[in-house]
Amino acid sequence: MDTQTLVSVGMILVTFVIYVGIAIYTRSKETAEFYVASRGIPPFWNGMAIGADWMSAASFIGMAGTVMVMGYDGLPYIMGWTGGYLFLTFLLAPQLRKYGRFTVPEFIGDRFNSDVARVIGALATVIISFTYLVGQLSGSGVVIGRLFAIPTWAGVLLGVGIIAIYATLGGMKGVTWTQVAQYLILITAYVVPIVFMSLQVTGNPLPWLTYGNIVDEIGAIDREIGLTEYFAPFSESTQSQFLALMFTLMIGTSALPHVIVRFYTVTTMKAARWSGAWALLFIGILYLSAPAYAAFSRFILMTQVAGQPMGNLPSWVDRWVDTGLLSVADTDGDGILDWEEIAVAEDMVVMATPEIADLGMFVIGLVAAGSMAAALSTAGGLLITISSSIAHDFYYRILRPDASDKKRLNAGRIAIFIATIVAGLLALDPPGVITQIVAWAFAIAGGTFFPVLFLGVWWKRMTTQGAIAGMLVGLATTLSYIFLALGGFTIFGIEDTGAGVFGVTINFLTCIIVSLSTTTPSQEKQDEVVDLRYPEQMTYKDGEVWIKEEDYKS
Amino acid sequence: MKKVEKADAEKYFKLRTIMIFSFILIALLVSFGVVTFAEFFSQFTFMGAPLHYYMGSQGAIVVFIVLLFLNAIISDRLDAKFGVDNATNERIVGGQSMDQ
Repeated sequence: MDTQTLVSVGMILVTFVIYVGIAIYTRSKETAEFYVASRGIPPFWNGMAIGADWMSAASFIGMAGTVMVMGYDGLPYIMGWTGGYLFLTFLLAPQLRKYGRFTVPEFIGDRFNSDVARVIGALATVIISFTYLVGQLSGSGVVIGRLFAIPTWAGVLLGVGIIAIYATLGGMKGVTWTQVAQYLILITAYVVPIVFMSLQVTGNPLPWLTYGNIVDEIGAIDREIGLTEYFAPFSESTQSQFLALMFTLMIGTSALPHVIVRFYTVTTMKAARWSGAWALLFIGILYLSAPAYAAFSRFILMTQVAGQPMGNLPSWVDRWVDTGLLSVADTDGDGILDWEEIAVAEDMVVMATPEIADLGMFVIGLVAAGSMAAALSTAGGLLITISSSIAHDFYYRILRPDASDKKRLNAGRIAIFIATIVAGLLALDPPGVITQIVAWAFAIAGGTFFPVLFLGVWWKRMTTQGAIAGMLVGLATTLSYIFLALGGFTIFGIEDTGAGVFGVTINFLTCIIVSLSTTTPSQEKQDEVVDLRYPEQMTYKDGEVWIKEEDYKS
Repeated sequence: MKKVEKADAEKYFKLRTIMIFSFILIALLVSFGVVTFAEFFSQFTFMGAPLHYYMGSQGAIVVFIVLLFLNAIISDRLDAKFGVDNATNERIVGGQSMDQ
């Protein structure tokens, strides 16, 4: 091992010790702690935990590269993955919090008074979270594998082991405080290199203010060598695909069970609103920086690598060519490396920035630890969600309603452990391209859950049959479109990753049509829905709103 | 328990609905609106970059964040105006039996 590898391994090990330490210190002793952290997480810290939960290895390593390669057409990821928090915080989170359950399937089952709806919800939750988890684990395996020059499978196993230990021990409480630590590590690791790069390229340490000019200069260079400008709209995809993808990512974000469950960990509707605001601020720091990474990297590649004689390339070029993520070939044999002769893999951009900006081995180690934090924190949140669907919704609510607190806690731990191992085994040989699978998870989440949750919270006329039909038809439509689009059949040029448009629309229609043609729900159920419009202190009953005041007067 | 005047209860819900509808409309305009007319917006420049690119990479996200904080602040004020006290809310939640 060379010094760099030792420093990187050391920094990652230090962060692992921190995570496991936090998990042991905040060990869960009862069910409410294990699933919803006793609902006592303050909104500011919950915002950070949501941020870490949300930002996966794909956001940390891949997104900047996607924007660099696709230009303007990579931006649906930036707008879609942030905009979803508006729909979630405005339309779902506070109301779901007031309803007061442990999981999304539990809300669906209790709101519609149906174990069939509960089972469909639990199954869809497991499918969505599992798909996402496999992507995270194979992502972390790739990171470890590349950094330490060990096989990817060994990297996957290492990541799986760490997650299994701290998620099993700490439950939601442990995972939440671990995620706070992981957020701080990953955001520092993301922002430090780009600040130095901005300082080197533009002389100003605030990349968010300066990269606009660089974008403009890249466009000018593109014009000069006769390419489509970097910022030209819809050159890499069509406008309808751009809009459909952005819609799918936004609606999917607001309906992902592992994100929604984080809003169950706070005390009140007010705390849910503030959690959403803090979360998007913390997430925004990374999403606002990603296009800056894209612009600076492309600018450096265009000005310092392209146009140079083959023998006079910067020294970091060789090291990245060795990893297979960068290829430079003087195909026209004129001794000069042209821009068209450079091929960059998307995953290289963030990982290579500290070397390109020559920031030294500690920053390189920090970026390695940050990307591990991004993968592990998302995997931890997903595992809790899978475990609660199995141990709470299936085992406790359907199979053994009389199980003791201790038994339920053990069931939760066993479910996490098994889910980790199964996902780890699948991640050894992932069934497709990671970013594509993750996009499907968003389409399935939006297409199955969003209309049912939205109407379930706001529309008192919504019936059990409507919810069941909506989820089944929405899921079927989304999956069918994904398979049809993969087979070459598309509508308006929308690809498989934009399938949410069809799933969500048809799910909404099904919910409304079936609800209206089935019996009106009981008055009690309708009151329950109207009650969600008001804060905890107010109760809706028999057409009147009551406010509790007894504590208030004394 | 004290009864809330029907007009007040309806007003509370109406004000919240108006606020959320306007915020979502603004959010849709800065994201889907700008993308739909991207060619048109590309003739303007903001902070060095063409406007459609700026809005997609920064503008829309900053607007989203501001809207979320406005929502939290305005909702708190609205609750206070209608006599809702957060400490009482927390006590009510703490006593909920469904958490057991």
